Amino acid sequence: MTVEIPDPADLTVVDTDVAVVGSGGAGLMCVLHVKDAAPELDVTVVSKGAVGRSGCTRMVQGGYNAVLDPADSVDLHLRDTLEGGKFLNDQELAHTLVTDAPKVIHELETRVGCFFDRGPDGRIHQKAFAGQQFDRTVHRGDLTGIEIMGRLRDQMFRVLPSELEDVRALDLVLDADGELTGLTALDVRTGKALLIRARVVVVATGGSATMYRIAAPAREKTGDGVAMCWRAGLPLRDMEMLQFHPTGLLADQARMTGAVLEEGLRGAGAYLFNAVGERYMARYDAERMERSTRDVVSRAGYTEIMAGRGTSAGGVLIDISHLGKAEVERLFPGMVERTRQIGQDLATGPVEVSPTAHFHMGGVLIDRDCRTELAGLLVAGEDSGGTHGANRLGGNGVAESTVFGARAGDTAVAEVVGRALREPDRAQVAASLARTYAPLSRTSGETPFPLTAELKDAMWLGCGVVRDGAGLRDCLGKIGELTARLEHVAVPGPAQVNYGWQEALDLANQLAVARAVVVSALHREESRGAHYRSDFPEQDDAQWSQYVVLRGNAEVETHQVQHTRLSPEEVS
Amino acid sequence: MPANALTVVVHRSDPEAQHSFRVTRTEPMMVLDLLLAIQREHDAAIGFKYSCRVAMCGTCTVRLDGRSVLACQTPVPPERDTVRIDPAAGLPVVRDLVVDTAPFWREWAKVTPYLVPRDDLTEPAVIAPDAEERQLIDPGLDCIGCGACFSSCAVAAGSRDFLGPAALNRAMVLVADSRDAAGAQRLAAAGGAGGVDRCHYVYGCSAVCPKGLDPAGAIRQLRAWRLRPGSADDR
Repeated sequence: MTVEIPDPADLTVVDTDVAVVGSGGAGLMCVLHVKDAAPELDVTVVSKGAVGRSGCTRMVQGGYNAVLDPADSVDLHLRDTLEGGKFLNDQELAHTLVTDAPKVIHELETRVGCFFDRGPDGRIHQKAFAGQQFDRTVHRGDLTGIEIMGRLRDQMFRVLPSELEDVRALDLVLDADGELTGLTALDVRTGKALLIRARVVVVATGGSATMYRIAAPAREKTGDGVAMCWRAGLPLRDMEMLQFHPTGLLADQARMTGAVLEEGLRGAGAYLFNAVGERYMARYDAERMERSTRDVVSRAGYTEIMAGRGTSAGGVLIDISHLGKAEVERLFPGMVERTRQIGQDLATGPVEVSPTAHFHMGGVLIDRDCRTELAGLLVAGEDSGGTHGANRLGGNGVAESTVFGARAGDTAVAEVVGRALREPDRAQVAASLARTYAPLSRTSGETPFPLTAELKDAMWLGCGVVRDGAGLRDCLGKIGELTARLEHVAVPGPAQVNYGWQEALDLANQLAVARAVVVSALHREESRGAHYRSDFPEQDDAQWSQYVVLRGNAEVETHQVQHTRLSPEEVS
Repeated sequence: MPANALTVVVHRSDPEAQHSFRVTRTEPMMVLDLLLAIQREHDAAIGFKYSCRVAMCGTCTVRLDGRSVLACQTPVPPERDTVRIDPAAGLPVVRDLVVDTAPFWREWAKVTPYLVPRDDLTEPAVIAPDAEERQLIDPGLDCIGCGACFSSCAVAAGSRDFLGPAALNRAMVLVADSRDAAGAQRLAAAGGAGGVDRCHYVYGCSAVCPKGLDPAGAIRQLRAWRLRPGSADDR
């Protein structure tokens, strides 16, 4: 069956005031803030999967960092965030995060309807998380994301945005003057394309860590937002900073491989052992041991495995059974269940884990109100870069998505004023459709699945936990080869509900983001946070207190980090 | 057939499409892994949905040999050489195993599923973890909206006049919540024509819930509140 590429003139046109791309924590908080501030505005949610149920906020286990205790302070939270980020952060974004987080926790509790775990005194309980000097992580058991996303999704039944469910965003489209007009989109159920004209577009799709062999995120997270923005010429920063969570499950070929065992395990006292029974963190961070930051613990595990001290399945062991079976079951019911499904048991013994690609610190350059270089385009959550610098603290991720999602909503309400709907440049729409429908219109060629697998392997080996120049150059070559092969991919079947076709479209975005990650990683000739170069193993503050910026033409720029709130010297 | 192979029969919307596949067993292997193997090795266009693959998103609900399950967390039964996979029941099929969940969410919306905060709620409420209301609420949270209960309920899936187990469970959780001001409205919906009286107490919902919730118990609780008017308002 071949499918014709649709004519731009025949597209269904959806006009809206604010188009929100993505329906995770950032997207739905944005919708809520727009509709509560300006109920008269028409808001359209564009969601590649089920609204409120796809993406990664839903998958948050551990919790949400916010300063609530009078003995804690936002200055201390900022300091933890900047130290964790190895002072690569945009300090204004980090400051915004820690300042707004308590407000947003209040809003989630008193307006959105979340109920977080309480201490015996009936007040919100905060638990220990790695890399923090105060126990400030708000949570609901070890499945915090379900509570936050469930309640946020339910708020949608009150504020009633238009929901385009199972509709993937394709490309931002501008007009002849270079002004943002909206985006092209594809209804995955019908296989038909849409043109969404919007006065303001908010991009909040989530990251791209699925481009690694062992990876934690949900399937939707294929860098769609960042790739769209890059194609539209927006600058990206810190793209080399891709976080590996130290404890991803190993479940052989099962899709569950890579799913995270949460950080709170280490906070609660879990030990990490290699296959010869050594508590190996003593060699890497004798002071903080397992409670060291994610970058350090991931690299330690990877190094042990590569040195031949891993298990036969290529992992290390996490063990919290010394707390007792009943206590582990009480504290971590979700994690216990997860391990039992694959024939292991966290409550009674060690479980095999590996570092797993988890979160992209890099992304689109934004200001503290989520504005970008392109007027009318806002970016929030994991699609943006700068908040976390070179390494994100556990518990700062869902804080980021909800804090900046809320701010994007507030900004959108202001931005809509004075921005009219515009007519997109027909040639851009046609190019977007041609690119999208090409795999479906070809009658012969390989399917995208082996290409995705090859990309995941290439990134794991060439641009993973430990990198070097030669490996990165090989990886870049492989990305070039796969990009060329993608031009000839063919997917069989109808246009309706065709996830083979969707895989090809996902892969185009993954390849775009992968290229940006590798180019940035080659450029940064030092080691910092999540980016570790075995050929440049030291952190080089004299040369590299700089962040890397890429533009659409892959021109690399570096800019000095401005220590507007706190300098490294003040904490050393 | 080799001992480690399995025949998988899948509902297809196109009667001409291949519907029986031989898949090699791996270990561990969930139903989702079967579907992914079919997609990679046999038919790239087979229609099925999933997102998180760790029982948190609730988008991969199918029926395995008639039983409503999450594909991502249901192991392939070890003793069988053939399994059958069908779409969730009671919802219109979009294609193959993908259903339109809109009817499920239409019912959900009828119970006012969001917190309507009391006017004086400006600070996170001080509520002890062992408070009576939390003992009712906590076991009823973590609903992921997967619709397995709806799919397994002959009344909900068979007709269009029952709120269904998940929506009633959500209603119970909110009615019990002392932070909420819309209990009477929800009790009216739960006690109305499509409400708790439509439940026949077959307990299929509680039996299939992948999160271990007890929607049938929630329905019993709502009935008790209705029979003792005012009791929910005291909470």
